[in-house]
Amino acid sequence: MTTTSTTTDLMQDTNTQNDSELLQLVSFVVGVEEYAIPILRVQEINRMMQITRVPQSPEFVEGVINLRGKIIPVVDLRARFGLGCSESTSENRIIVVEVSGRVIGFTVDKVNEVLRISANIVDDPPTMVSGIETDYVEGVGKLDDRLLILLDLNKLFGDVDLGAAGEQAAADAA
Amino acid sequence: MNDFIDDSLVNDFLTESNELIEQLDVDLVRLETETGNTELLDQIFRALHTIKGAASFLNLDAMTSFTHAAEDALNKMRKGEVEVTEHVIDCMLKSVDIIRNQLKEMADGDAITYGPQHLIDALHKIADIKSPQPTASSSDTPDESGSAGAADAVAPGGAQVRSIEFPPQKADVLPFMVDDLLDSAAQLESCIEQLAQGAGAGEISQRVVDLSETMQATAGFFDLEILVSLVKMVRAVGDSLITVDEELIPAIALRVRTIIHLINPYAEMIGECREPVWPLEQFADRLETLLSGKKIEDQASADATTAIEVLEADGVFIPESSSPSSVATDTPVSEAAGPTTPKSDDPKSETPTGTSGAEQTVRVEVKRLESLMNLVGEMVLTKNQIRGLGRTLSDHTLPHEVKEMITSTVSDLDRLTGELQVGVMRTRMQPLDKLFGRYPRIIRDLARSTDKEIDLKIIGGETEVDKSVLELLADPMVHILRNSADHGIEMPADRLASGKPETGTITINAAHQGGHVRVEIVDNGKGLSREKLASLAVKRGITTEAQVASLTDNEVYQFIFAAGFSTATEVSNLSGRGVGMDVVRTNISKLGGEVHVVSTQGEGTTIEITIPLTVAILPAMLVGVGTSEYAIPIANIIEIVKPDESTCYSVAGAAVLRLRETVLPLVDMTDLLGEPRDEQTGQFAVVIESGQQCAGLLVDRLVGQQEVVIKSLDDEYTSGGPFSGATIREDGDVSLILDITALTRSAQVSHDQGAPVPAQTSIAV
Repeated sequence: MTTTSTTTDLMQDTNTQNDSELLQLVSFVVGVEEYAIPILRVQEINRMMQITRVPQSPEFVEGVINLRGKIIPVVDLRARFGLGCSESTSENRIIVVEVSGRVIGFTVDKVNEVLRISANIVDDPPTMVSGIETDYVEGVGKLDDRLLILLDLNKLFGDVDLGAAGEQAAADAA
Repeated sequence: MNDFIDDSLVNDFLTESNELIEQLDVDLVRLETETGNTELLDQIFRALHTIKGAASFLNLDAMTSFTHAAEDALNKMRKGEVEVTEHVIDCMLKSVDIIRNQLKEMADGDAITYGPQHLIDALHKIADIKSPQPTASSSDTPDESGSAGAADAVAPGGAQVRSIEFPPQKADVLPFMVDDLLDSAAQLESCIEQLAQGAGAGEISQRVVDLSETMQATAGFFDLEILVSLVKMVRAVGDSLITVDEELIPAIALRVRTIIHLINPYAEMIGECREPVWPLEQFADRLETLLSGKKIEDQASADATTAIEVLEADGVFIPESSSPSSVATDTPVSEAAGPTTPKSDDPKSETPTGTSGAEQTVRVEVKRLESLMNLVGEMVLTKNQIRGLGRTLSDHTLPHEVKEMITSTVSDLDRLTGELQVGVMRTRMQPLDKLFGRYPRIIRDLARSTDKEIDLKIIGGETEVDKSVLELLADPMVHILRNSADHGIEMPADRLASGKPETGTITINAAHQGGHVRVEIVDNGKGLSREKLASLAVKRGITTEAQVASLTDNEVYQFIFAAGFSTATEVSNLSGRGVGMDVVRTNISKLGGEVHVVSTQGEGTTIEITIPLTVAILPAMLVGVGTSEYAIPIANIIEIVKPDESTCYSVAGAAVLRLRETVLPLVDMTDLLGEPRDEQTGQFAVVIESGQQCAGLLVDRLVGQQEVVIKSLDDEYTSGGPFSGATIREDGDVSLILDITALTRSAQVSHDQGAPVPAQTSIAV
């Protein structure tokens, strides 16, 4: 940072600078675990809205919503993680993200906070994290009082090959 | 020279020339049967001439020389010196192909190749058949083009004048063009005066160049040879004014005055749709000599001190009043240039091109129309939401007047958006003739190459469809036509042997039908062979012997749409690679359409294509199933009935609905969509039709009719179900649109597995 920084600032800076950059994350709760994704991947966070069920779609797909004129799929993250049905509360949210050009929403039990953590407190994922396939886990952030599971959105949602271009073209056509 | 031609001009040229080429195709094929139609011949000539003129302006030598050769040949036909024979038409059609190819090369930014010499020779041969002196075919001299011009006439002064015609959109702007031209000429004059008074050559030079560019745009647009060459001269003057020796400037200035002297009467004449034919070659040559810094050798020309003298010396014979209507040349008041052009009493000149009152058109980029279309789509959704809001509000305790106001405002909005939507949709509509126009040529070529005699009849070509529909229809149509001509129609001898007229007929029949367009391609050829198709289908593993046995003839015929299926024993170069009909079905289902084949052996085959008029917005019926609402396209709904025990029963485990005389498979939507059941379940049966298949859908509630904007549902999370898309309802929520084709097909399949129903059957291939 700058030379005018105080001593404490400097100390913190050396900590972070030495190892890596700061991560800006949004943390949310699904089931009993707290997860986080990079804030830059988040397009918006919405309160629960009417989700239209799409029959004969994969089980973890809750349905589709009208996001200001665009129709986007919504994935139930609990179902995706195999955690069973969620109880609906007023704290439920739909987080809208963009994954390889596609806009996708997913439901979470509750959104906690926006936080910055230094990348050096993030460890590689352990082999097993609370029953979730560790494929989706990018790492585990060790905060002072709790653990944060960092999700890899590309692996979570981008695992099926449907080019962004194709979908965009189709959306344009409609 | 090419560097001063801007892109927009080139694009205009390409668009226009391509349209002319399409028209040429049609006209030439027509000419073959209407050999005596001079009007048609003139039309063909004009189209070719327009292309040639524009090409020469753009300095496209390869295209100019080729079109020129074709034009010469055509001119002989117009003069009746050459008979219109098959061979001649062949040559002309090939020439059209060459020009089309040249245009394509130009569009792709490639170098334009010269036309093949043998074809040019053939054209020259046609042109020279009865005239031993070849017409000047080397360059684009005004002299020669005069002889090619329509209605040559000799003006009183001896200068030739020919009448010209403009397409309507050009004729409309003609007066403005004349104004522009006179204006430019006046400005040019002031430039030259300043030059004579010793103004800086650099500044004047730039102004002259600018002026020439303005004029060049006009000249290019109107495709006027004389003007083009005059403007080129002005440009050349502007370019070399800085470099040229000072002592030559008076001579150059004089010649620029001469040009102005020519432009003024020229503009007047153009305003009356006549173009003078001036031999400007020598004048141009001498100007060039001057500009290259040399003196003119010819004494008369060098000594000339007035414009008239220059012209006389250079062999351009233009008397003071060169136009028959004797418009004063030295007072170029734009009387004749105003919107009321005609000065003469001849009523014909009041409608200079015979096309006055024709529709004015504007070219619009398709992209803009598409974004407009998307916006209208969004607007329809918003309107629907406002309508929903209005309904909600009217349930509240509001003053009566307020409620009424809301209702009437909402209904106004409803009507206006509806009109807007129709209007925007109409801008994208194009007549099918745009597509069908190419077919006479295709069929003619096919017939020639296979030695068959085939007549093509087109009915309903004026039927309009959305542009995107038109584009996607192009390939399937060609495939079908080729199949009909190649496999359907028999050789003349075979036809005679089976008691049919020698000439086979292919009929294209297009018409609107509800929200759909139906196109039928009917041939009176040999029809499809059930045995051949069935054995091939079994061989290709598409079906089994046992299954085939239970299929009706028409069911067997649908196999031709399966991939890798071709009945031609030998692969011809026309069709028979076994991909065609597969492409046909894929393309058509992309449009949400259907294709069917009906055939009678020995009598012919009919292929029927049904496609929705537009692909973006459709009226739909919203139905309730369980807790959700689904949309069914109105176009697919035949009727809605309330089923009861007497009409609704089960045959061999499959639910069926008896509707008067027919028995339809019945789909329980509650089961299919996994909705909860209650006492309301299955109150209504919506009878849907897709192609020739019908089915009943059991639903709980009828919600109402609504225009829905289709949004695609094609990512892996939401595709797979029987839905063709989704839409946003009045209340802002999403409803899924049922895929009627998929539903009827799966209903039929499960139904057929249960018990075959004789009346309404079909097969999913």
